[in-house]
Amino acid sequence: MDPFLLTVWVVRLLFLGLLYLFLFRIARALVGDLRAAAREPGAELGRLVVVASPGGEPEEGSSLALDAIATIGRDVNNAIVVEDQFVSAEHAILTFRGRAWYIEDLGSTNGTFVNGAPVTEVMPLGYGDVVQVGQVRLRLERPRPARARR
Amino acid sequence: MTAAAVGAGLPRILGPIRPRTRWRETRLLAIVAASLVVGSVSLALTSQVADPGESHGLSLANPLHVAIYLGLLGIAHLVLILSGRRMDEILLPTAGMLGGISLLLMERLPQTQVVQSIGPWKLGLGDVQLAWLVLSFGLATTLAVTVRSDGWLRLYKYTWAAAGVALLLATFFFGDDINGQRLSLTIGPISGQPAELLKVILVVFLAGYLSENRPLLVEESTKVGPISLPPLPFLAPMAAMWAIALGIVVMQRDLGAALLFFTVFLSLLYIATGRVGYVVVGVLLFLAGSYVMYLLVPTVQTRVDIWADPFRDPTGDGYQIVQSLFAFGRGGLLGTGLGAGLPTVDGRLPIPAVHTDFPLAALGEELGLIGVMAILGLFLVVVERGLRIAASAADEFRSLLAAGLALVIGTQAFIIAAGNLKLIPLTGITLPFISYGGSSLLVNGIIVGFLLALSDRGVEPPPPPRPRSRFARLTGRVARLETPAAGRAPIAPGPSRRSPPAADDR
Repeated sequence: MDPFLLTVWVVRLLFLGLLYLFLFRIARALVGDLRAAAREPGAELGRLVVVASPGGEPEEGSSLALDAIATIGRDVNNAIVVEDQFVSAEHAILTFRGRAWYIEDLGSTNGTFVNGAPVTEVMPLGYGDVVQVGQVRLRLERPRPARARR
Repeated sequence: MTAAAVGAGLPRILGPIRPRTRWRETRLLAIVAASLVVGSVSLALTSQVADPGESHGLSLANPLHVAIYLGLLGIAHLVLILSGRRMDEILLPTAGMLGGISLLLMERLPQTQVVQSIGPWKLGLGDVQLAWLVLSFGLATTLAVTVRSDGWLRLYKYTWAAAGVALLLATFFFGDDINGQRLSLTIGPISGQPAELLKVILVVFLAGYLSENRPLLVEESTKVGPISLPPLPFLAPMAAMWAIALGIVVMQRDLGAALLFFTVFLSLLYIATGRVGYVVVGVLLFLAGSYVMYLLVPTVQTRVDIWADPFRDPTGDGYQIVQSLFAFGRGGLLGTGLGAGLPTVDGRLPIPAVHTDFPLAALGEELGLIGVMAILGLFLVVVERGLRIAASAADEFRSLLAAGLALVIGTQAFIIAAGNLKLIPLTGITLPFISYGGSSLLVNGIIVGFLLALSDRGVEPPPPPRPRSRFARLTGRVARLETPAAGRAPIAPGPSRRSPPAADDR
């Protein structure tokens, strides 16, 4: 093939390639923006749905919005106050680190369980997992979309 | 005034200058620059290979034009950096890329398509388009940096609407007839198409009206058969919009503008109220109106007949559409390359309106399916940015304004692209940022400027809610509807927070 014609075609394809490189860079930026928007300050990072609560506090079936750090216990200074005689004053802590939730037992008397297994160290918590403290069972759920105003 | 005085005076007007880097925009603009240089080289190479029989009036890729255009984008970028605002960083490169493609296309078309003489200079198509692009981006940057408050838009929405209708009537009575359409208005040395500006005015009015009356529009009280509608007085603007759209068709034979206005209106109505019923009623009204128009107005009839079967009269009525389809066909997947398309018929361009109504056909031939997809993708990016700006806007008015402006661009691109491809009947409307045309480019510049200004997070907070309109006070439903929608439960700062905070109230 004529080298000159070849050059012409290489340049033509390069132009198209650059158009798509541009679109690709924009797409990456947009995905980054979406991630950032999902972590907007003030927006919730997850929810705890109360599956079982014999003490009535928190109410069964209610769902609690979570900040990046959520402590669970009987003391009123906890983010999630649980009225249950088997729960310690400072029982467990949920933390959102980067992209995932982690749970840690704060040396409670009766222990913390995830899907029935005892929590011995800091361990990751997935959406849908059920956390048990005392007789209260809480299920971690995905956050609601930040802008559900309408 | 000396330079030092200017330097000292500027901060007083604009406030202290605290530059803020915009690396994302810088990187994207670098890709735009690379693409344009490569595209220009491609054009120049093609004009060397093109055999004389195939090429007609080809112009060389003009390095000066590319340099001016890229310099302009650079200056706009610099101004945005110096303004120190946190504005969207993707809109400018995207619009810049579309404008650059437009410049390459206009350089490549026969320069005699448009000739304007200013004093001793004769400006061809490429020169004029470059001048409009410079003005358009200049306008966008100026608006982005200077618009700090939206009160002048929001408070005077009826004034704006009246101005828009006045423009429309002025065009009808004093406009110039071109091809049986009365679209352009000449005042002294300035000639323009008011319908272009009307798009922005319409969005401003609708955003103001809908944001103020949203609670009442959402309410259902009038029942028409199975469909429940809001109180009748609030249906009036909807009927008025419908009438205006049809009026434009009857008076100006401007199908594209009518379709655009009505689509944007319905979209905004849906965004504001979230009720599908409106859209259904609107579409039904539109279909009914269209059918009546088809029976009554000969222009509409011709357009629809051409669309149904352009090959019935391929050298007459259907000529442009047929040539456009041929152009897309010749382009294939990769295209013939910039500058290598558009064979002439009897020494003339096959598509007379290629620079205004059919730029996509030319690009489809020269860049192929791949290129057309990229261009449509760029329009999609503009719409996405607009909707994102709308989603994070401080209040209803700004949200609707941003969404409406972005939808104007998106809808317009869709209408003309689909018209070129014979997906819907062809309507004479410009492809935003790409078509030749001063009014169109300037209005696109205004839209980008407003979107950039709206995307600024540090902008002045919206004014406090004003008392409802007279209608609302009369009906007295306001108090009940004014209670905020169920949202985040307030956290009581009581001494003992016994109840778990942020418990859900829904």
